[in-house]
Amino acid sequence: MQSQHAPSTSTGQPTDTAASTGSNDGGPAAIRAEDVHVTYADGTEAVSGVDLAVEPGECFGFLGPNGAGKSTTIQTLVSLLHPTAGSVSVHGHDVVEDAQAVREYVGYMPQETSVDPELTARENVRFAARIHGVPAAEREERVEELLDVVDLADVADDLAETFSGGMAKRLDAANALVHRPPVVFLDEPTTGLDPEARMELWDYFEAINDAGTTVFLTTQYLEEVDRLCDRIALLQDGEVVATDTPASLKAAVGGDVLEVSLAGVDDAEHSGSTGKRGATDRTDDPGPARGTELRDHAASVVRSANAFDDPTVERTDEGLAITASDVRTGVMELFVAFHDAGLTVTGVDVRSPTLDDVFLSLTGEAIDEGETETTAPGRESRHGADAEEVTR
Amino acid sequence: MSDDSAAAASAGGTDAVETRAAAIEAQPQRAQGTGAIGDIWISVKRWLVKTSRNPFVTFTSLVQPVIFFVLMAEVFGAVAGGALTNAVGADVSYVTYLTPAIVVQSALAAASISGIGLVIDMDSGMFEKTLASPMGRGTMFLGKVFAEVVRIVVQTAIILGCGAVLLYLETGDGPGTFLETGVAGFLGVLAITILFAGAFMSFSNIVALVTRDKEATILIANSLTFPLLFVSSAFLPLQVLPDWINTVATVNPITYGVDGVRAAVLGEDVMTVIDVTAFGGAWNTIVPAIAVLVVFNVVLGAIAVRLLHRASRAAVQ
Repeated sequence: MQSQHAPSTSTGQPTDTAASTGSNDGGPAAIRAEDVHVTYADGTEAVSGVDLAVEPGECFGFLGPNGAGKSTTIQTLVSLLHPTAGSVSVHGHDVVEDAQAVREYVGYMPQETSVDPELTARENVRFAARIHGVPAAEREERVEELLDVVDLADVADDLAETFSGGMAKRLDAANALVHRPPVVFLDEPTTGLDPEARMELWDYFEAINDAGTTVFLTTQYLEEVDRLCDRIALLQDGEVVATDTPASLKAAVGGDVLEVSLAGVDDAEHSGSTGKRGATDRTDDPGPARGTELRDHAASVVRSANAFDDPTVERTDEGLAITASDVRTGVMELFVAFHDAGLTVTGVDVRSPTLDDVFLSLTGEAIDEGETETTAPGRESRHGADAEEVTR
Repeated sequence: MSDDSAAAASAGGTDAVETRAAAIEAQPQRAQGTGAIGDIWISVKRWLVKTSRNPFVTFTSLVQPVIFFVLMAEVFGAVAGGALTNAVGADVSYVTYLTPAIVVQSALAAASISGIGLVIDMDSGMFEKTLASPMGRGTMFLGKVFAEVVRIVVQTAIILGCGAVLLYLETGDGPGTFLETGVAGFLGVLAITILFAGAFMSFSNIVALVTRDKEATILIANSLTFPLLFVSSAFLPLQVLPDWINTVATVNPITYGVDGVRAAVLGEDVMTVIDVTAFGGAWNTIVPAIAVLVVFNVVLGAIAVRLLHRASRAAVQ
């Protein structure tokens, strides 16, 4: 989206330079967190040293596995929780010392849907507009606009208690945005929505971001983050392990990803669902152990073949995923080595790394995909029998 | 604020979605808030609208005291004559005597479940949402209280009207006999009832903030307040009741609510738990009643506000 805040660092390694990235010329940062710790009453440290510096107008993705401390951090940023240690400010206003000012800057959409079930959709949005002091002259116009954006205009006079989970979620988004806040915190804003509603909301987030709104969001829809966010922070166990642009993070993974499907691996694990593959009517007993064996064998071939420069090899459901800066040029050499070793390649895919790969390489665990599995990026062509290249 | 608008302006939009043109392209802006009065009014409106969404509950809560009133007047009125003559004189009908008790009982019923709204807001996330907005913590709570007060005023007016009708049906006396103190008495009844309700609203919200549970809030409200009515001067003069009830009644806020309202209705000193003679006539009851109720309000209110502040700091636990 906007690129004027591109940071200078491009390392994917754990970094504590987040607070110093970004330009610091015109006024205070939209969001600044310095060494924030949050410890709950029971002693759990949910956030242990988060540094953030988000410039006005940025779209900032805050990603991490479940339980990493994302929601707790956001609650601290919107002044609902006081940090146990460290400091947080929004547009220069400290969340503890000057909470009132912070609340005048932010729009907050919590992870848990929070609408008043006994009010209609319109009354809910109107209430949100009123408590933020949207002037009467433009209030109704704003309310109708937001109801339209979240596609609830035709049920605007229905009680929120009659809404499905997805509808309530959309209503909540309207509540959080109706007063046109300069800084918007969206905690899983589109989880549980159908794809159409999701797209519509993302379009709106993009539009308000283009209009100058700072957007700070958590989500599991990595492809949207990749498309919309100027920068991303990855959170793991309450700590920021990387902050950078999506492009730099992906570049830091170490090149393109070569995914190889091997005959006998997939069906060894999913015996019975082998119809789609041609040469799999073997009679020997395929089992999980054999799949593992095949992959280990293949992995050792990759290393001994020396086709790539310092490759990273991961096991996948179908075979292997090899990450290296030169997979595109070394792929033929590898196939020859596979052939010599008696391994049959049934499918191949070379693609640029996704944020999923970034996540995996930095945290060692995949972001929890939940229901997003079907839309996860770069997965669609994995079974492609023809070596299709995903263009950069 | 100049730095803020400069900051907001630093990221101008370029390719806005055409369908939602002007409104979206407008610059985001710092919320202005509405000030304390505005906040309270917004909150009052929200709660009144919610009340109106439950016509059956509202209707029942208005009709129930009327039914209770008629039954009590008929049943207790049949045997209360002698006790009443001793306490407040032969010219006072039991209907008139009972009216303050029903007023206080209804206010009690409404006030003691006031905390449920808070629990519901915590469950629905509205509590946290309001906390993250510029709305003042105190004002959102006051708004809820004021909405309750509106209900209690309506309820009280209905009960007073009902009392006048009942008295007319029993004795043929007009409203002048029912409320000898006139408009001043009517306003006095409202004022003391509201003050009385305030103490129990605070109590209910304390229970709600401690338990954070709807059922517990209702259960504790009901199991505590109903018996308290009987160990007070509500239904019969304390002179005819056992000593232990007299002792409990002395520290029971309901006694002071009922006695205060009753003094405002009858225009005479009806308080027996404390003997005050300094003010003359009904004021000998009204002044100490108000004083005691104010103390209950301040103490319970302070605890409620303290708990509310703690809850707003730790709302996310």
